Amino acid sequence: MSDPVALLRSMLAIRAFEDALAAHPEAGFQLLSSGEEAVAVGLCAALDADDQLLSSGRSIGPALARGLDPDRVMAELLGRATGPCKGKGGRGHLAEPAAGFFGAHAVVGGNLTIAAGVALAMKLGRRAGIVACVFGDGACGAGALHETLNIAALWKLPLLLVCDNNGWSVSTPRAEALAPRKLSDLASPFGIPGMTVDGMDVLAVRDAARALAGRIRAGEGPAFLECVAERFASHSTATRETRSPAELEAVRARCPIRRLAMALSSEGTLAPDAWRALERDATDAAARAIRYAEASPPTDVAEITRDVG
Amino acid sequence: MSPKSPAMSAERPAATKVFFREAIARALTEAMHRDPRVIVLGQDVGRHGGAYREFAGLHAAFGADRVRDMPVAEASIVGVGVGAAAAGLRPLVSITYMDFVMLGLDALVNYGAKVRYKTGGQLHAPIVVKTTAGAKGQGVAHSQSLEAWLVGVPGLKVVAPSTPADAYGLLASALEEEDPVVYVDHKRLFPIAGWVPDAPVRVPIGRAVVRRHGAHVTIATHSYMCRVADAAADRLAGAGIDCEIVDLRTLWPLDVATVASSVARTGALLTLEEGQMACGIGAELAYRVREEIGTMRVARLGAARAPISGNPRLESASLPSPDDVVAAVRGLVEPDRRPTARTP
Repeated sequence: MSDPVALLRSMLAIRAFEDALAAHPEAGFQLLSSGEEAVAVGLCAALDADDQLLSSGRSIGPALARGLDPDRVMAELLGRATGPCKGKGGRGHLAEPAAGFFGAHAVVGGNLTIAAGVALAMKLGRRAGIVACVFGDGACGAGALHETLNIAALWKLPLLLVCDNNGWSVSTPRAEALAPRKLSDLASPFGIPGMTVDGMDVLAVRDAARALAGRIRAGEGPAFLECVAERFASHSTATRETRSPAELEAVRARCPIRRLAMALSSEGTLAPDAWRALERDATDAAARAIRYAEASPPTDVAEITRDVG
Repeated sequence: MSPKSPAMSAERPAATKVFFREAIARALTEAMHRDPRVIVLGQDVGRHGGAYREFAGLHAAFGADRVRDMPVAEASIVGVGVGAAAAGLRPLVSITYMDFVMLGLDALVNYGAKVRYKTGGQLHAPIVVKTTAGAKGQGVAHSQSLEAWLVGVPGLKVVAPSTPADAYGLLASALEEEDPVVYVDHKRLFPIAGWVPDAPVRVPIGRAVVRRHGAHVTIATHSYMCRVADAAADRLAGAGIDCEIVDLRTLWPLDVATVASSVARTGALLTLEEGQMACGIGAELAYRVREEIGTMRVARLGAARAPISGNPRLESASLPSPDDVVAAVRGLVEPDRRPTARTP
């Protein structure tokens, strides 16, 4: 699952899926992760079947990288009954705990204390597995992170905190929102090991996540991984882009998919026709997911009063 | 204190007179023996045994893994509890003052109350948030009764006992619910003892009870205000006005049927709460009772629309008193003596 070609395939699948989804605005706006695929894919390469992953609302990358069925994820995002959440969660709230994706939560920083609770349940239940929680740099200015770091360190929770630092809180650049020089420094007052890696390098993310997950699996308590990434589009498909075309062009030149593909072809492990086949497979799979979702029944309005508790 | 019931007979089941804190500790002890998934999280819940000693003995009996002290950080107390609940545990989290439930509302409202819905039933959060409402001289940020806020959240159930038997019975029921329950004690009830059946008698969530029978007016209330209503009813009885008091016990789901059936007999409803009246329990209840039975005479009482000062003179003037209840009831049963309404 985690050899470089598999990582490339996984990143391509996310990109093609989101490109196909973006052509279907009828189900509302979407939170796309183009540019940040390496964070989700590199992290998931370090996770085992018994682990649970939680994410922010920017959850398509994490959900697909974790191995959720793209057909059903597309159905969820297009409001169909065949989605894992019956089309009731949708964008920002994808979840399939049975597949190791405990779920996304679209409140910035809102999944951090929840993830600590999931980790506590795993620890007390002596269950195998660790919990990983992906959040944006936007969550690093919130008190929830401080509270989570504190309790996770105190209780030695099996929790891997992964900051997908795309540099923006909607329109506010990181430098205008957050004081720390490195976001992984936030972990050090709690004695939590922290690392900062290039989030556009899927192999670097995978290797760092594996190293930190290994410590956690050995019972050494939580760890913090900052992945410095780029967001290729605006905050959401409904949000104005504040960067200039020239800035965006420079950002997109750092594409993590092209970077890995070029590295693999220059070392001779990816022939041009193999690359074209990977691209075609990803596009075909995305088109299949759209067809599956469109052929699925819309979520019945009677669902409004079900699962309310 | 644990005297045995003096009136033990074939008709009356054995009971023991206990304080609220003892009833709470008993419900938790039994639940923790029965179900290893039940844990307690919060501030001062461990060796200290709880701010009101309502967790006394749990740490010694079940250990620090299951009875966990947490930092003074309510957002994470509730968040960790809700996350652990969604992942298979059954936590009770203690928030010493209801005012500080606010700090945990994101996790409770945006996650706990919605996780069953948003995951299409894949996850649910069987958590009990136990907290204490009511004014007892502690000032503007330690005195509020915010039940009505929580009633506005789909996915939350809210219970508030007025007797030790209901404290035991409602908490025992709450600990077996599959979705979040907010259990609300009241500071002025802790010094009061009452009979609790020795058998494990649950109080079902969503069921009100008639505490006092009367023909002339229905007073619907909950928690400590049941005692204010009762004091007023004693005085009114001397003047020939018989009050029926309905203790709501559960604020969501509201037992409208029990109140409506009482008001259908008495023809008049006074709602009485310690919280704010605007969008309050009384407003909701009065409207729904009216939907059930059509016309009725109705009035409501609640706190003045002002912060609750720690100054005892101001505090007591902010809250409904037996005098206020007497005047409001007289206004309902003798319409020409309607008192000046307190502006919400």
